[in-house]
Amino acid sequence: MLVDMYSKKVFNMAYQFSGSYQEAEDLTQDIFFKLYHQLDKYDFEKNFTAWLLTLVKNYLIDMYRRTKWEKRQRDDFDKHLHAVSGTDNPESDFQEGENKKILWQGLNHLSSDIRMAIVLKEIQGKKYEEVAEILGLPVGTVKSRINRGRLQLAKILHDKRGKIHGL
Amino acid sequence: MVCEKIQDLLSPYLDGELTPEAKAEVDAHLSSCRECAELLSLLRMATDSLTAFPDVEPSPDLTAKLYAVPARKKKFRFSLDFLVKPSLQPVLTAAAVLLVIFSFYMFGPYKKDIDKSVNRQIHRGYSQIERLYAKAGSVTDSLSATAENFLVSLKNINPLGKNEE
Repeated sequence: MLVDMYSKKVFNMAYQFSGSYQEAEDLTQDIFFKLYHQLDKYDFEKNFTAWLLTLVKNYLIDMYRRTKWEKRQRDDFDKHLHAVSGTDNPESDFQEGENKKILWQGLNHLSSDIRMAIVLKEIQGKKYEEVAEILGLPVGTVKSRINRGRLQLAKILHDKRGKIHGL
Repeated sequence: MVCEKIQDLLSPYLDGELTPEAKAEVDAHLSSCRECAELLSLLRMATDSLTAFPDVEPSPDLTAKLYAVPARKKKFRFSLDFLVKPSLQPVLTAAAVLLVIFSFYMFGPYKKDIDKSVNRQIHRGYSQIERLYAKAGSVTDSLSATAENFLVSLKNINPLGKNEE
């Protein structure tokens, strides 16, 4: 039941954070192993999803610091993430695809704390309060991290798009 | 300086979290500052693109492995319990002592001498066994000879005291 309900969520969080499909599969297995070990520590009065995602966050950041993923390459965006856009404008679709590729690689340039906040807020679409609960931080701190992350990604987008267009 | 202040407000501006006064201030600045307007456009592009990242399906192989995790956990815990069982402590202690002795033998300076004396003892034991085996053979022979004699004497006994003739 836990696998049916949460494997996709955990796997996607690991993939978006690490950038490697293979790595995310290994991490998901480790996280589930850890989850079964720690289930007896779960407080039934708390939100289970938030508790689980906190466990996932702690494990991912811990592994990140131990193994230094930032030195590794992320998978090519098209390898697993390419989704066909539904608009009728091929030019804007192409532009959108290019932006996604730049941002996907750009996530590697963010610190682990900022990257985690961006993954939860922007990619997973969580509210600031939910992100704050998962990260165990005040909402103000989360907003500040997301602001910094967005600005860094906007700068990366600016620099790379300039190169693409030969500016 | 004004741009720096406005740039810090662009994120809450995008989230629609500014007060009407702050929003009006940002709008006024954006209409006159090309750089900040471009930054806002990039921020919007970034957030829109990140939001549109699709979810990825984990492989069926991974799902199968995840279903097997509780069994893996049970196995692992069993082996740990087995190792920390109090009743096994004397066995483990004995094993540790043997290991220490064995390591002294393996890595100590007297390995050759020990090997030689053990070899000698084995040979001595072997030759004793051979001698015992030979003795046992001779005992078997004499026993069978005695048995034959006994059978012959039994045949020669006449219980009725009659003459054979």
